[in-house]
Amino acid sequence: MMAFFVNVEQTALSVWVRESPSLLAFPFILFLHTLGLAMLAGLNVGLDAWLLGRRKLPTFELANIYRVMWLGFGINALSGLVLLAAYPAKALTNWVFFAKMLFIAIAVWVLQRLKGELAVAGGTLERDVSPRARRLAFTSLLLWTATIFAGRLLAYTHHILLASERL
Amino acid sequence: MDAFIDWIYTTRLSWFVNSYPWVWPTLESLHFCALTVLAGTVGLFDLRVLGLVKGITPSALHATLRWGVVAFAVSAITGVMFISGASEQYFYNDAFRLKVVFLVLMGANAALFYWREFAGIQALGPRDDAPRSAKLIATASLVFLVGVMLCGRMLTFFRPPFFH
Repeated sequence: MMAFFVNVEQTALSVWVRESPSLLAFPFILFLHTLGLAMLAGLNVGLDAWLLGRRKLPTFELANIYRVMWLGFGINALSGLVLLAAYPAKALTNWVFFAKMLFIAIAVWVLQRLKGELAVAGGTLERDVSPRARRLAFTSLLLWTATIFAGRLLAYTHHILLASERL
Repeated sequence: MDAFIDWIYTTRLSWFVNSYPWVWPTLESLHFCALTVLAGTVGLFDLRVLGLVKGITPSALHATLRWGVVAFAVSAITGVMFISGASEQYFYNDAFRLKVVFLVLMGANAALFYWREFAGIQALGPRDDAPRSAKLIATASLVFLVGVMLCGRMLTFFRPPFFH
């Protein structure tokens, strides 16, 4: 496995992200990861907070909100892959990274379930917020909090920074 | 400035931030959680004002902004704790100065919204379009928010050379 990490660390992309003095390399990719977080987790948390504060649920068009959230997911997936390519051993030898991936996977699944609760086929009548929708929103809040904590703790819990430094 | 920084390091807050290894990572996590809530609640409202979300009144979404206010307070508290723990990193940092400028712009923009647009926006129906002036303020709000995030992320890369 270490040999695989070394191979990845020696690719042009990995070297550029780690070693380029350009602000468009590591710093900008980190910023994109934060922007994606704000778009995906931010809007999801905004929806959760809105839903938990209501008794009745109006019909509103979710398509554009979900488009922005999926765009955020795409930005985070791409920037995350590039960051992973820069320091593969740092992430893939740390269980916190896998916990973060698990939290994200469940949070996105919950987000899709929430869409089913919020979307109403036709009609504009208000209806009660179901206990299931509240549970989903609350679970979503917990999952994104756990994801953010795991993401930040990655910087403090890794045992290996670069596999090539250990050979 | 150096005397002020020296004084900050004599405070109990600075001592607390620097004395326990778990404090800084916890503050960072809370700062990011608060940023997420702030971006989400403000962003959702701005998207409605811009007309990207329809079928709901802006006033129904505005109630969620109270969470954004709480998130901003958490950001501010954790931010002050960061500064107390590593003052030079912030006071001698161009990215931090620009971040403060964006924060002031965000505040001024919000004040302008409540002064000029809020009453009209609250009266809008679920499918009504917001006036162009309100849309401009909502666009500026999103731009300033992204500016705060960009500068926040760049802080580490604009640290003064003597900071370790």
